[in-house]
Amino acid sequence: MKTQRRNGWRDARVVFKKELRETLRDTRTLLIMVVVPVLLYPAILIASEQLALFGQRQLERAPAPVAVVGDVDPDFLDFLAEQEDLLLVEAVDPEEAVRSDSVSAVALFLYDAGMVETQTVSLIYDAADDWSRRGREVLSSALEEWGDTLLERRLAERGLPIGFARPLEVEDLSVALPEELGGYALGRFLPMLLVVMTLLGSFYPAIDLAAGEKERGTLETLLTAPIHPGQVVAGKFLTVTVVGLVAAALNLGSMLLTFQTGLFQLSQAFTIEFSLPFGSVMIIFATLLPLAVLFGALFLGIAVRSQSFKEAQNALTPVYMFFILPALLPLFPGIEFTPALAVVPVAGVSLLFRELMVGGADPVLGSLALLSTLIYASAALVFAAHSFGREEVLFGEGRDAGKVGNGPGFLRGLRDSEPLHDYPGSRATLVFVGVIAVVYFYLAVRLQVGLGEKGLLLSELGLLLLPSLLFLRLGGFNPVKTLSLRRPTGRGLLAALLIIAGGMPLAWLLTWLQSFVIEMPLEFLEGMSDFLVAETPARVAWILVLVALTPAICEEVLFRGVLLAGTRRQFSPLGVILLNGLIFGAFHVPSATVFRFLPSATLGILLAWVVLRTRSIWPGMLMHFLNNGSIVILASSPWILERFSDPNQGPPIWLMVPAVASLVAGGVLLEREAS
Amino acid sequence: MIVLENLTKHYGELEAVSDLSLRVGPGEIYALLGPNGAGKTTALRCLATLLRPTSGTASVGGADVRQDPLRVRSRIGFLAASMGLYERLSARELVTYFGRLQGLDEERLRKRVDELAELFGLDDFRGRYCGRLSTGQRQRVALARAIVHDPSALILDEPTLGLDVVSGETIYRFMAEERSRGKAILFSTHQMAEVELLADRVGVLSRGRLVAEDTVDGLVRRTGARNLARAFLSLVEEGGQSPVGRDFGEDLAGSVSDGTE
Repeated sequence: MKTQRRNGWRDARVVFKKELRETLRDTRTLLIMVVVPVLLYPAILIASEQLALFGQRQLERAPAPVAVVGDVDPDFLDFLAEQEDLLLVEAVDPEEAVRSDSVSAVALFLYDAGMVETQTVSLIYDAADDWSRRGREVLSSALEEWGDTLLERRLAERGLPIGFARPLEVEDLSVALPEELGGYALGRFLPMLLVVMTLLGSFYPAIDLAAGEKERGTLETLLTAPIHPGQVVAGKFLTVTVVGLVAAALNLGSMLLTFQTGLFQLSQAFTIEFSLPFGSVMIIFATLLPLAVLFGALFLGIAVRSQSFKEAQNALTPVYMFFILPALLPLFPGIEFTPALAVVPVAGVSLLFRELMVGGADPVLGSLALLSTLIYASAALVFAAHSFGREEVLFGEGRDAGKVGNGPGFLRGLRDSEPLHDYPGSRATLVFVGVIAVVYFYLAVRLQVGLGEKGLLLSELGLLLLPSLLFLRLGGFNPVKTLSLRRPTGRGLLAALLIIAGGMPLAWLLTWLQSFVIEMPLEFLEGMSDFLVAETPARVAWILVLVALTPAICEEVLFRGVLLAGTRRQFSPLGVILLNGLIFGAFHVPSATVFRFLPSATLGILLAWVVLRTRSIWPGMLMHFLNNGSIVILASSPWILERFSDPNQGPPIWLMVPAVASLVAGGVLLEREAS
Repeated sequence: MIVLENLTKHYGELEAVSDLSLRVGPGEIYALLGPNGAGKTTALRCLATLLRPTSGTASVGGADVRQDPLRVRSRIGFLAASMGLYERLSARELVTYFGRLQGLDEERLRKRVDELAELFGLDDFRGRYCGRLSTGQRQRVALARAIVHDPSALILDEPTLGLDVVSGETIYRFMAEERSRGKAILFSTHQMAEVELLADRVGVLSRGRLVAEDTVDGLVRRTGARNLARAFLSLVEEGGQSPVGRDFGEDLAGSVSDGTE
C-alpha cells in the first residue's frame, strides 16, 4: 500500500494528537486539570471565606455577656452599660461562670488604685472557645478605652497635656501600593500552588501514558508500527508537558479571576489588589515551561520503568513529595533569592515566581534559575528517551525474580520454565534493608550506650547478621549464591589488597577535605581513640574482634551479601556499587555524626566493586577487616591522631602517589579478573 | 516471505529461544505450537522487532529485523495476545491512528478504514470506545488495526485466545482469506483443532528449540500417534519439556483427541 514519505516530527505529532485526545477523555486527568482549578478551587476559596465571615457575623450578632468582679469604679460600670457590643451580667464565681458558659468573659479588679497607681485587671475567659474569646476581645477594648479616660482625668487634674503621657505616637506608612501588597501575598503561596498544579497535572498522564500503556498491552502494539521509539517518547512527553502546563495555567488564571472579580471579599477589606502585570504573567508562563518539561520528562522516564499503574504511582509519589519541599521555600520569611538557591531545582523557579509577583526580579538570577531548570529538563528528557529505548525497561527484565513479584508482566509465560529463584528480588531486598535501617537507627545506639562493648557486639550480631540470615532462610534463597560464598582467586585477592591499600589514604584525604565543610567531631574522635587504645595484647585481640572482625562478617553479609545480590539484576553495575556505598554510608551516620558518611560510603563503594567483580564475599570481608583493624592500630599512634584531628594538617601528600598507583593497579587487576 | 535463521534470544542466563530456523512462504499458514514457556511469543516478538535477537537473524520480505526494523514493521501485521487496544478510542479512531503511523496518506486512509469497517463490521459498535467492547468485537478491531496497511506478512500470537466459537470462526475465515491473497501467515496457538483446520505446516517448540517441523499429517505419521494432540505431547516430551505430569499428560492427550478438553 502506498505510504507517505516519513518525517520524524510527523510521527511525533500523530502520537501527540492521539495521546492528547485520549488524555482529555480520561476523567481523572480532566478532574485534576480542569475541574479542580476552574471550579473546585475557587469554590472552596470562596466558600471557606464566606463561612468564616458567616461565623464572625454570628458571633457579633448578639452582645457578649460579660461580668466585672472586684473593687470597681462605678463610673466604669456606667461606661460598660453604654457599650452596645457587650451585656453586663452578674458572676459570683468568675471561673465557674466562664466554664458553664453563663458569661463569656470576666474582668477581675483586684483593688482600687485611686488616682496615681496602676490597677491590675485579670481577664478570665476560655481560650479554647470562640464565643468566650470574643467576650474577652470586647471587654479588653472597653478596658483600654476606659484606661485612656482615666489617664486623661489624671492628667487634667494635674494640668498636664495628653502628650505628657504619650511622648511618641507611632504611625505605619507603607509605601507598598495595593497591587504590590497583592503581589506580596500572592508571591507567598502562589509559587507553591503553581508548582504543585504542574506536578499534579503531569503526574497521572505520565503514569497512564507509560506504565498504563504497558499494563494494557498497547505499547507492544504501538511499537510494531514503523515509528522510531524516540518519536513515541516525543509525542508522549509533549502530551504530559502540555497537560501539566494547562493545569498550572488554568489554576493561575482561575485564581487571579477569583480575586479580581471581587468574589473574594477579604482583599477589599485590606485594600489589597490581587493583580499581576501582563508582562509578569507572561514571564511566569515562560518559567513554567521548563518546569513542566522537567516534570514531564522525569515522570515519564520513571513511569516507563514500572510495569503497572500502581507500581508507577508508588515510584512517582516520593519524587512528587521531593519537589514539593523546594516549592515551599517562598512561604518562609527571610528566604532570599540567591545564586545558590537559583540553581536548586524547583526552588529557583519558585523564588523567581515570588520575585516577579512582588514586582520584579534580578534578571541575572532569573536567567540563572531558568537556565539551570532548562539544563535539568534536558537531562530529564535524555533520561526519558534512554529509558524508552531499552528493551528490558519496556518489557521487563526476563531474568528478574518472579518470587517477590517484581518480574515482568509482559514475559509472564517465561517464569513457568524458570528454575527456583536463587536470589531475592530488588524490592524485597530494599524493603528488608529499610526495615533493618529503622530498627538499627533506634536500637544500635541505645544498645551501645547501655551495654558498652557488649552492646556493640549485640547490635552487629543481632541487628545485622541474624536478620540477614533469617531473610535468606525464610525467603528460601540460595545462601551460597546470594552471599557470594565462592572461593576467590589469587588475582582477586591481590586486587582487593591493592585497592584497600590505596583506598584508605584516599579516604583519609576525602575526610580531611570534608572537614572544611563539616566540622570534625573531635569529642567523638577522642572517645573512639580512648576506646581503641589497648594496653595488653589480649585487649588488642578483643578490640580487633569487636571492631574489625565482627563488622567484617556481619556488615558484609548484609551489605555485600544480601543487598548486593538483591540489587544487581535490577540496576547497572555502577548503580549497584553506588547504591551499596550510599546505603552503607547512611548506616554509619547515627553512630557518630554526618562526618562518617563520606569515608564509610567510599569504603562501601570499594567493597561493593570488589565483591561484584570477584563474585566472592571473602575479599570484601578481608578488606573490611584490614580497614577497621588498621584504624585500631593507627589510633594507638598519637602522631596519627593529632594529624587526623587538625584540619590544618591533611594526610602527607607523598602518600597519595603510591595510594593512587595501588588503587589503579588493583582496579586493573580486578577488571581483568571480572572479564 | 518470513525467514528465521538460527535465531537465539537470551534473557540473562535463560535461553528463551535457541537456534530457531523456519520459513513461511507467500500464501502459506505456519502454526507454531509449544507449551507455555517454550519460546513461541519470544520468537514472534523478535520477528516483530519488539525484542532484539541475541544472535541469528530474522527477516520479512528481505528486510532484516536488526538492520531495517522500520521496514520490517511496515511489512508485517502483528496481533498480540493482549490485542492492545486503546480503551478511550473508538474502533475507527484506533484503526485510523495506526494507519497514520504506517504513513498512509489521508485520502487513502479514509477509503481503507471504510473498507475495513465494512469487512469487520466496525460500524456495528460506532460511538463506543474500545474499552466498552466485547472480546469478540475487540478482536475484530484488533485485526482491522493489524492489516490497515495491507501488510504482506501476518504474525498472530494466539489470535483466538478467549474467543467463543463464533468469533473464532471469524478469525479462521479471515486467515484463510488472507492466505488466498498471498499473505505469509505465522501464528502461535494452543488449539490443535485450528492447527488441523488451517495450518499448511506446523513447527513444534520445546524449551526454545524447534523439535519438529512438518505438515499436520506428517507429524502424526512421524510420531505414530493417533492425532496431532498426542503427536504434540510426544514431541514436547522428547524435547525435554513436560508441562504436566506424565500420567496426567496421557489423560489430557486422550481427552483432547476425544474432543473433551
